Amino acid sequence: MISEMARDFAQDKVIPFAMHWDQSHEFPLETLREMGQLGLLGMTISEEFEGAGLDTVSYALAVMEISKGCSSVAVTMCVNHLVGSILQDYGSLEQKERYLKDLASGREIGSFCLTEPQAGSDAQNQKTRATKTDRGWLLQGKKAWITNGTYASVFVVTAVTAEDASGKKEITAFLVPREAKGLILGKPEHKMGQCASNTIEVTLEGVELPLDAVIGGENGFKVMMNGLNSGRIGIAALCCGIARAAIREAVNYANERVAFGSPIANLQAIQFKIADMVTSLEAAELLTLKAAWIKDSGKNYMEAASMAKVFASEMVNRVTAEALQIHGGNGYVREYLVEKLYRDARITTIYEGTSEIQRLVIGRGVLKKGFL
Amino acid sequence: MKIFICCKQVPDVAMTIQIKDGKFISEGMNYVLNAYDASCVEESLVLKEKYGAEVTLVLIGDEAGKEALRKGLAMGADNAFHIMDPALNQIGSQAAAKVLQAFFKGRDFDFILTGKQAQDSDMGLAGGILSEMLNLPYVTNAVGLDMADNKVVVRRQGDEGVEVIHMPMPSLITCSNDMNDPRIPSLKGIMASKKKPMEQLSLADLGLSADEVLRESKKSSLKSFSLPPARKSGAKIEGDAQTLVATLMEKLTKEAKVL
Repeated sequence: MISEMARDFAQDKVIPFAMHWDQSHEFPLETLREMGQLGLLGMTISEEFEGAGLDTVSYALAVMEISKGCSSVAVTMCVNHLVGSILQDYGSLEQKERYLKDLASGREIGSFCLTEPQAGSDAQNQKTRATKTDRGWLLQGKKAWITNGTYASVFVVTAVTAEDASGKKEITAFLVPREAKGLILGKPEHKMGQCASNTIEVTLEGVELPLDAVIGGENGFKVMMNGLNSGRIGIAALCCGIARAAIREAVNYANERVAFGSPIANLQAIQFKIADMVTSLEAAELLTLKAAWIKDSGKNYMEAASMAKVFASEMVNRVTAEALQIHGGNGYVREYLVEKLYRDARITTIYEGTSEIQRLVIGRGVLKKGFL
Repeated sequence: MKIFICCKQVPDVAMTIQIKDGKFISEGMNYVLNAYDASCVEESLVLKEKYGAEVTLVLIGDEAGKEALRKGLAMGADNAFHIMDPALNQIGSQAAAKVLQAFFKGRDFDFILTGKQAQDSDMGLAGGILSEMLNLPYVTNAVGLDMADNKVVVRRQGDEGVEVIHMPMPSLITCSNDMNDPRIPSLKGIMASKKKPMEQLSLADLGLSADEVLRESKKSSLKSFSLPPARKSGAKIEGDAQTLVATLMEKLTKEAKVL
């Protein structure tokens, strides 16, 4: 029923506008507000803080449906969810009261600032510094590729707070309100895909924060890693949604397009492509839902989330490429949705941890624990 | 105010309908709340928000009917009755009205709403038959509802415009899906729907026997289904402008005879 509801929403409020948003680079703020009212922006946040109190499996199913409509809307939903989850898991009661209700209900949108121009996969090497002052903290640095930045009311920002003799850094997470002095929001990036999502550079020029702006105390690194881990399940689901849309488009096109005297769906070359596409999508969906289920059962889901993310993101790149191939030249022009889906898919092996990082996580995890 | 909505679960029209040997293949179909009935739910909820009301759903159907009822409850209806009995599989409008007549016997209500037809069979009969059986004033094809002076103000789409009819209560009104845009249930609504009362009733609970239903069913019967014939593909004329015009003129005058 949750899938059906998200599907209905995407059908009525997302799909009719997705091509327009993509081409105009318009951020669908009104649509997001409506999603908030329906509970789609705070799905796993407890009802106490105006969330829907659902589990991660439900969340993943909903992201799949929304992403099938438009992955830009889905990624905005995912990042908002990531910030909400961090607040739910690590925020003080006061921080939750101040920010979480607004994020869970979609009245406000959140943003997560980890990546820097010179520190993406190498997150330990971030340069943003937070120094203690008489009154609190002073933040200095630059964050790159920040989703939702222009529209966010609160930013979770990670910064280095100490460094030992060996060069090991202590990372702390801060809640920075939009109105903080010295918080400079850059212009939206012009991206290849997911054009209706908002991505900017955020500069912290001597941002002064009170002591209680810290979230998760000493565990800044854990806040960051847990955030990314759970975020990976959302992105894996997002990939499945794009792939589902691409296969739908490819199937419709193959049934309509006539070549050699009959629809190309009658050609084995096309049938085999479709077979591989749906099979790999099915596998990605199962990996995604399994990771969500492990998370819901309270067990360590780090490798499971990485497996889902790396598999689903590489799957959607193959699937959208094949869907475009089935469309022939038509797939290369903007009149056809598959062209958008192909561009939208490309980022997924990069953001929320590159494929290379996912493989590190999986490989190291398995080798450390042993494999029976 | 007590509003009852008679609902039906119908195959999801977004799916491909399959027919074999004159029979509808229900296997693998998703069943959803009839769109016309969803409009009844939406309109009732607006009246409820405005004037206060208890909105009750009633549905005749098998297990699949539960999902349709859940959808209405998730939208915001208060409670539901699910009439389920092996003798009720594949019944027509006449028998359905008979069962609903038994259901409404002795029940207190202000008005009954139902979709002007169901998306599956498009018969549009059950509402009219039920109003006759219950001896209720009846109006069809409502596109808007409101209340005034203890009457239901029905805006009805007629042949030549919208008619405004003041219906006394109790009465029965069938509704168009042009009436509104049914709300998408919120996640909170979906969760809450699990806790809302849904009472299951059998024929025996309604004081009816399978024979009585069968007798009503026999008054009309559905012999077979068939898909509409596939549309013939159009003719494509090729050539330069002169040939195109000449060929088209020839076809319009001699073949189609419209000129």
